[in-house]
Amino acid sequence: MTPREIAIAALAVGGVFFAVVAAVGVIRLPDLYTRSHSASKSDTLGAGMALAAVALTFGADISTVKTVLLLLFMFITNPTAAHAITRAAAEEGIEPWTRDDEEVDE
Amino acid sequence: MTEARILVPVRESSTLRNTVAYAADRAIEALESHRPAIHFVYPVAQRVRENGLPDEADELLDRVDAWIAEDLGDHAGDVEVETAFVGRNEYLFNPGDYADVLRRYATRNDIDTVLLDPEFNPLGMTPLLPPLEHELERAGFEVEVAPVERPTRRFPIVRRAGLGQFVVLFCWSFGFYLLIGGSLSTFDLATGALSGLIVASLLWRISLSGFANVPRLLARIARMAVYAPFLLWEIAKANLQIAYVVLHPDLPIDPEMVEFDAAVWSELPATVLANSITLTPGTLTVDVSRRHFTVHALTTDTRDDLLGGTLERAVRFVFYGRSAARIASPAERSASAEAADADRTESAEPTDGENE
Repeated sequence: MTPREIAIAALAVGGVFFAVVAAVGVIRLPDLYTRSHSASKSDTLGAGMALAAVALTFGADISTVKTVLLLLFMFITNPTAAHAITRAAAEEGIEPWTRDDEEVDE
Repeated sequence: MTEARILVPVRESSTLRNTVAYAADRAIEALESHRPAIHFVYPVAQRVRENGLPDEADELLDRVDAWIAEDLGDHAGDVEVETAFVGRNEYLFNPGDYADVLRRYATRNDIDTVLLDPEFNPLGMTPLLPPLEHELERAGFEVEVAPVERPTRRFPIVRRAGLGQFVVLFCWSFGFYLLIGGSLSTFDLATGALSGLIVASLLWRISLSGFANVPRLLARIARMAVYAPFLLWEIAKANLQIAYVVLHPDLPIDPEMVEFDAAVWSELPATVLANSITLTPGTLTVDVSRRHFTVHALTTDTRDDLLGGTLERAVRFVFYGRSAARIASPAERSASAEAADADRTESAEPTDGENE
């Protein structure tokens, strides 16, 4: 394997890892707010690393530029979506989960 | 009936003179039954530094004063006329904000009718009047748009540095077109220039309205180039923390809502800061109301990082340069916030709806 292939593989593995973390987080975390942390951001880095692997595979090509742009848009739209969802929840009056709730529940 | 008490928000506009005259007429009509009052208020929209009002605001209110005195003529003594500034301690950027400051002013002065100048539009290109009317009506006010003659609507010929905006927008769209197209053939150059021209001529008054100042824009882009790797690094670092938290068997989280007033003063920096906060794992911007940020923090560490103000400082560095980066962090500021609160003449409504 050339160093480039190693880098590509590392990035791809990292991307998969963070995507899995995001999925695990969505399942494990207790409420809407904490879940959207996981869904929006680990995912951003996961997708970011996957796209970086793609860019590296293409090398100095126009597709790389497009990949970078894709990444940029993702960095803009992902937090916006998370913000929209949590804000809607906050306006609906959904209470965020806290440590105290856990003691009450169990 | 209290309709004899009228609130008129004012801004420089072509129909302001006639709106003032109409307000005077209404006051004179109401004279028989009540002592009418007219309050002219000037909403101060965006400011970067504390204190200091725009000169044109003082001058405009003086002019309004003179006009109304002239229109009321002999009745001047019977009508209560006030001029005031509102929104001095906050920055206003959407119709809801305007409705809010007007509502607070009106409540303090026992006013329930708002008379709007049809050309009142401090937001620039975004139409303000219909949503403002709606917001005010929802807040329980009687709203009336002064039935005055409007000139044919046309754009001012020269807005601040109009050509600069056009060129910047054209270059952007042309450059983007070529970038996506990936070739520099004559055909692409021609169609790209044409598309750029169309985009720029359609949108140059709408997008980029705030910054046509090319050197400042370049400086910002340069500083943004410093900011981007920093943000990426923060994202990566924080992501690892979150991965640790999520995968930890005990799930060591301690989520909490944090509220603070960010020291950023206009739309774009506030947007960038809000998005950066959300991008950095562990913190999530839930709501932004003017400068007031409501942030959901996942763990104690992320909360401390947020209030430590590293991100905020970095955003200020991008938009206002190095000197602004030295302003105290939110944690330090909140220590002195109580003293400042007492001084505020116009206290903001509490926005902590989530904590009820």
